[in-house]
Amino acid sequence: MRTHLAIPAVTLLCSALLCFGAHGQSFPTQAPNQSNGKLEAVLYLYPEQVTLTAGKTSPVALHFRIAPGFHINSHTPKEEFLIPTVFSIPADAGVKLEDATYPPGADFVLPADPDTKLSVYTGEFAIQAKLVAQPGDHLVNAKLRYQACDKTACMPPKTITVPIDIVGK
Amino acid sequence: MEGARSIRLKRNTFVLFVTLFVLAVFAWAGWANYEYRKQAAEKMLAAAGHTELIASGSSDDGPPSPLVGKPAPEFALQDLSGKKVSLSSYKGKALLINFWATWCGPCKLETPWIVQLRDQYASQGFEVLGIDSEGDDLPDSDKPGLAKQKAAVAEFVQQEHMPYPVLLGGDGLAQPYGGLEAMPTSFYVDRNGTVVAAQMGISSKDDMEAKIRKIIGAGK
Repeated sequence: MRTHLAIPAVTLLCSALLCFGAHGQSFPTQAPNQSNGKLEAVLYLYPEQVTLTAGKTSPVALHFRIAPGFHINSHTPKEEFLIPTVFSIPADAGVKLEDATYPPGADFVLPADPDTKLSVYTGEFAIQAKLVAQPGDHLVNAKLRYQACDKTACMPPKTITVPIDIVGK
Repeated sequence: MEGARSIRLKRNTFVLFVTLFVLAVFAWAGWANYEYRKQAAEKMLAAAGHTELIASGSSDDGPPSPLVGKPAPEFALQDLSGKKVSLSSYKGKALLINFWATWCGPCKLETPWIVQLRDQYASQGFEVLGIDSEGDDLPDSDKPGLAKQKAAVAEFVQQEHMPYPVLLGGDGLAQPYGGLEAMPTSFYVDRNGTVVAAQMGISSKDDMEAKIRKIIGAGK
């Protein structure tokens, strides 16, 4: 009888540890998108780690932030010559990208060309990915390809690494 | 019997309170950690953005170029037909060296201005060299990728009716030309081969014309 309340108490404590430990989705404390002192226009925010049911298609929202003053082309830019934003996962990652749903782009007008509307992302945006994980722990180096501009100039297209620890259980 | 039950009840109550307290501590620690990391990420991003804004706002022409007042760095690049074109062959001309890329919206916007200004001032010894700088870091071994890129450049040139020489491989000039971190980037070179003005990003047709007038008149 002494363990009458002790057992649920231990269970709750373990739950709390799991809740704020291994399964927590937290913000990165390092700058994965800042290299050689140069600003990268897009920063991956979270999640750093997700646990999925192995072999089953699971939705995961991937959050990114664009540096102030910049925009990137949406997944469906209005002009053929513009480079779209595309998320991908390498083939041998242990996790398959079944599908990715991108947010619609917002209209954006360059001051020098008020008649042309561009389809862009600014601020924060999220890509809704559908993932299928094999059993096990996979440190996935997913990729996000984008091309960023400010109001007067454009930076070359860039592919950044999106590191996610994906556990298939 | 009654005393034993009372003691058990007190013990259980004590355990319950301790459990709740520990849970509360964990909840607080988790929240505090989340907030701390969120704020750290925001501070880092804000600092990076601030750096860029200072650089962009330092002048109407973008970040000041260290090349202004110095001789334009020499180069020899191939045009779309494979012919080698060198800067030195334009000695005595007032020259606009315009770095651009096929994926660059502002470049597409300013190209018709450049074409018009080139036609307008060609008779006064003004010429334009367009230099494609895709910045994709394609290796020499990626023949299909390079061929696709060349085709995209040719299509752009055709669409925009660019009458001046368009050279390939501008990425190799990034170091001598101050980084070429953004497109378009233009250098206005006078008849003596000196860089008189530089512009990163699009400005206006009037601004470009003013700079062209300057290099046409300079060095006479």
